Amino acid sequence: MQAFGHIKRIVVAGADAIIIYFDGANLDEANTACHQMLAAIDARRASVRHNAASEGLEHNAESPWGWLRECVPSYDSLLITFDMTLIDNHGVYRALKALSTERINTQPADNKPGFGNSVIEIPVWYGAPNASDLSVVSKKTSLSIEEIIELHTSTAYKVYAVGFSPGFAYLGDIPEALKCARLGTPRKRVPKGAVAIADRQTAVYPSESPGGWNLLGLTAFDMLLHTDQDSESRLKVGDVVKFVSITEQEYKSALKVEL
Amino acid sequence: MKIQVLNKGLFSLIIDNGRVGRQRDGFCESGPMDSSAYDWANFLAFNLDGTPCIEAIGEMQLQVDEECIIAVTGREPELSIDGRPISPYQSQKVPAGAIITFGCALLGSKAYLAICGNWQVPKAVGSACTVVREQLGGIDGKGSVLKDGDCIEVFANTRIKDSDKMRTLPTHLIDDYGFLEAIRVVPGYQFSCFSTVAVRTFETSTYTVSSAIDRMGFRFTGESVTADMENMRSEAIHLGAIQVPGDGQPIVMMRDRQTLGGYPKLGCVSPCDINRLAQAVPGEKVNFIFQNEEEARVDWLLMTSRRRRLQGEIL
Repeated sequence: MQAFGHIKRIVVAGADAIIIYFDGANLDEANTACHQMLAAIDARRASVRHNAASEGLEHNAESPWGWLRECVPSYDSLLITFDMTLIDNHGVYRALKALSTERINTQPADNKPGFGNSVIEIPVWYGAPNASDLSVVSKKTSLSIEEIIELHTSTAYKVYAVGFSPGFAYLGDIPEALKCARLGTPRKRVPKGAVAIADRQTAVYPSESPGGWNLLGLTAFDMLLHTDQDSESRLKVGDVVKFVSITEQEYKSALKVEL
Repeated sequence: MKIQVLNKGLFSLIIDNGRVGRQRDGFCESGPMDSSAYDWANFLAFNLDGTPCIEAIGEMQLQVDEECIIAVTGREPELSIDGRPISPYQSQKVPAGAIITFGCALLGSKAYLAICGNWQVPKAVGSACTVVREQLGGIDGKGSVLKDGDCIEVFANTRIKDSDKMRTLPTHLIDDYGFLEAIRVVPGYQFSCFSTVAVRTFETSTYTVSSAIDRMGFRFTGESVTADMENMRSEAIHLGAIQVPGDGQPIVMMRDRQTLGGYPKLGCVSPCDINRLAQAVPGEKVNFIFQNEEEARVDWLLMTSRRRRLQGEIL
């Protein structure tokens, strides 16, 4: 499967899935290209549904793009899963290529998804006893604990992707000096609100879960907004986030407010 | 009709087909660990595909307050009604007040109980499937596992008549759940970042199912396999993807896996074999074999048409 447009590589991800890796001068561009393709697929699905509805037809598996099961974007990649009884990966490839050609002919080039300007501040109690790998990170990066906190709070981060668990927002990029590898063996339990780093990424664990990132501290900031039947992520792709260092007392009083 | 849980067994959940289309928000796919057994259970209990079911580990006991039709499936499932053993993999009429006991012979395998009718369970983020970690689905919509004393309401399906033919899947046609045959794996993702030695090692070694197996993933122990890459960006993980963290011990990602992850992946277990693997218990030995995606698709189409033909013959 030959790459086209802003695509770097298309790789098999299973009998019923392909994963597309995007290209760009930097990660930001690749991330934008990924979200543009996702938006194009969503728009196509919506128009197929709309056309089917206006002709009084039921939208079903037999309709165009009815084979599409799931699109899961990340930093610079998009996983597409499909119904194998309706299509194979070459068919999926042809549909995506046709969609891309159509878009180049019909869409203005500056049709970027709008990124919110709001800077969201997340207060962190660095070194909280049940969520601290500060000494490990210090060894891996040869930085002092103060320098780690200083560096982590110095940068405004972009939300590149939401995933892993509900409301888990991948933020980047952290300063090169803070870069450190994941744990060799993932932890079975990371507490809710743990603030962590891995490679050039940082994030907050929205709920207790397993995880392999290096923990820096805890926040009382709730990553999910709950309604009756549904829940959604508090951070959206494109949001800008900064971390602020707070004390144990401030964390504990913030926790009471969130509850 | 009320279904009362007398004994929850070890770990019992209300499940359905899971959440489709919400992985981009971070909600896991969820759904039945063994979708083949789940589909058979609903088919044999005269339910539509996707009707909620109970997925149970250990021996579970329930009481029904009205006559109903049930079906039990899984890996070597066992069923008794009021203490009398009954064959699984068939529609079974149960009298009012009867006590249903079911489970799997192997501790750790999953048994499925379908009850004919309309399940009155809440939907959370589009599905009734229980995800404890995400506090979604289940009897209260908040991800609670079933416990003793829980009461599930199911409205009886009045369209099923006494004259309707009961359905049975003959024993010799039930899925094979052993591991004499290797688990098929489609190479993919970061496959090219693994050395030939690593790939050969993976394909020729026997791996043991560890005790760290749950709805998120199954960890295996055996010969270490590592990728020749240090860091990668987190990306979406498909059902059955084989992740290899730094310790070189493979993890097969299951239904409740996280949506994104950053460990290198060798490929993905074929959809034909993921249900068999999901029924493995700690200590079992498994071999893996690579096949390309086209062969995997052909196998899957054949498997699907075989199932349709069998269902057609049973009707």
